[in-house]
Parts: sequence; C-alpha cells; structure tokens
Amino acid sequence: MRVCGACNGLAPGSRRLILLILASLAVAGCASPVTHQMMVPTDLVTTKTHPETVSVAVNGGNKTDEMGKSQISNEEFALALQEAITRSKIFSRIEPGPSAQYLLTAQIISLDQPTFGFSFTVKLEVGWTLKRADTGKIVWRESIRSEFTAGAGDAFAGVTRLRIATEGAARANIASGLGKISQLEL
Amino acid sequence: MRRRILLFPIVAAMLVFNSGCAVNRATATVAPEGRAQLSQAKTFYVVRGAKDERGIERLIAENLTKRGFKASSGAESTPPAGTDAVVTYADKWMWDITMYMIELTVVVRNPDGSFPMASGNSLHTSLTRKSPQEMVDEVMANIFSEASKKADAAQKAEAAK
Repeated sequence: MRVCGACNGLAPGSRRLILLILASLAVAGCASPVTHQMMVPTDLVTTKTHPETVSVAVNGGNKTDEMGKSQISNEEFALALQEAITRSKIFSRIEPGPSAQYLLTAQIISLDQPTFGFSFTVKLEVGWTLKRADTGKIVWRESIRSEFTAGAGDAFAGVTRLRIATEGAARANIASGLGKISQLEL
Repeated sequence: MRRRILLFPIVAAMLVFNSGCAVNRATATVAPEGRAQLSQAKTFYVVRGAKDERGIERLIAENLTKRGFKASSGAESTPPAGTDAVVTYADKWMWDITMYMIELTVVVRNPDGSFPMASGNSLHTSLTRKSPQEMVDEVMANIFSEASKKADAAQKAEAAK
C-alpha cells in the first residue's frame, strides 16, 4: 500500500520513521473541546437560594480548532452554568431571554494555557455580572480568577492534560461565581 | 536502528509534553456594560506586566496615544487621578531562530482596575509572526472595532424600539 508519495526515494526504515513522526504529531496536535459536563462543579457550596428566575448569557469564548489547543466555547460554558444553577437550585428556574427576573452574564476575559510541560496549570478570568431584568440595575459584578493544575497522573497525552486543566479552571470559576451569588441578598 | 532509537524518545516527548499546536487567532470581546464605558473613556493608564522586561506597556500607551487618547504607563497598579480606564496585558514569547511575541492578551478595565470592559487576544505563530508593535496594534484595533460594532448594534436596537 502506498501511503507516502514523497517517501519513494527513502529506505523502508526511514519511511516508517517518517510515518511514525507524522502520526505522533497528528495525535499530539488533536485538541478536543472542553465539554460542559466536565465544567459543572460537583462540590458547590451555597449559602442560600433565590426564588427568582434567571437567564444566562456567555461571551468571549472561542471554538476549539482541532489542530490548536482546547478552548472554552460560549455554548459549553453556558450549558455548564445552567446545569450548575439547576443542580444547586440557586435560582428557582432558568428562563431564556428577557422573560427572566435576573440576567446573569459571564464574560470570558482570558484563558492562559501553557505550551509545554509535565503538569499544566491553566488560569482563567471571567467577568460576572448579575442584573435585574426589569430595571437593568446591576446587583453584583465581579471579575473572578481561577486556576487548575492537571498532573501526569491525570492523562498521558499532553493535549488531554490541557483539556482537563482547562475544564478544571472553568469548574472552579463557576463554583466561585455561583457561591458568591448565593451569598447575595436579592 | 540507532536513528530509530534516538527518534522514539523525541516522538514520545512530543506526545507527553506538548499541550497542542498553536493556531493563529485574533479576537476581541466587549462586555455589555463595557461598551458605553469604553466609548466615554479618554484617559488610559497601562499597568506594566509583572514579568515584562521588554516595555510592552509603553507600546500599548503609544498605540492609544496614536488613536487620539491620553495614555500613560507605569509599574504602579494604582492609576493616576482622572484615569477613565486601566489596561492590563499578558505577553507570551517563543523562540524560533529569534525570540518573537507569539501571543498578546490586553484587558481594558474600569478605573479601579477590577472589572473588565473589553479584552482582545492575538496569537501568531512563527511563520506569520508580527513585531510587538504590530501585535499591539492588531489587538487594540480589534478591541475598538468590536466596541464600535456593539455601539452600532445598540443604536439600531434603540432606533427599532
């Protein structure tokens, strides 16, 4: 089977090596996007719950390029946030759009990811804003920084460790943001 | 055979230590409330990055001055009185024959420096590398372009009401 047209003049051993390197590069460079399931905090501590409804909006995220690094998309972060609100019952219900009593906006400001390393620490900053839908009054606004380190024990491949670290940083940010919202007197 | 023995650790190391390939991107985002604040901002203060020894804060301040704003920079995180917006940034460098700036993230924050109004990020790999001045210009241009787009959209929405 002819799989490498440019390798014709090379010895069979060299061809195999080139193919091995190309295959390794392809595997090493195949980034998978973060998933909302892995960004939902499992150990969320809530002080109180609010009987009002809320809508969620996320901006500033990026789609993952298969040949790039794992990114956090607006859609996945929003799904994780909605799931976390539903599970923790911080608000009574999530309603789409302006029909909700409160509007919660999360703006992904920066995602700091390493390029090489044994353990990867990802740092994330998200700007959180909660405002009343009827008056537009901002009731809480804070920029929250979080980070998560994925070590060698978490995954063998670097791209997987980076995704785990990115999901961990997002999970910690959502936990912190919702934890602070649960302390508010609305 | 010897070559193969040498190459296996290299391939394995790439798989284990590499977090993924860098892909060019240039993005900007403006917070819903940040649009109005940014359009009113006239005076900026750029805070020098803790690890920056290349003077990127001066390049950002110069770029803002070229755009018609009053801009200053310094190591102090507390801005001078009368500052409308504080600018922070993170620059990443890579080596490929020479050192080059691979990534720049700029965040424009409210005067006390706590909450972000807008942010921009550019990443250019070695083959499409840009000078630090060009990287700064691209990020700032994208931030102000995005703010302008949001302002136009808000005006259209108001007019439609």
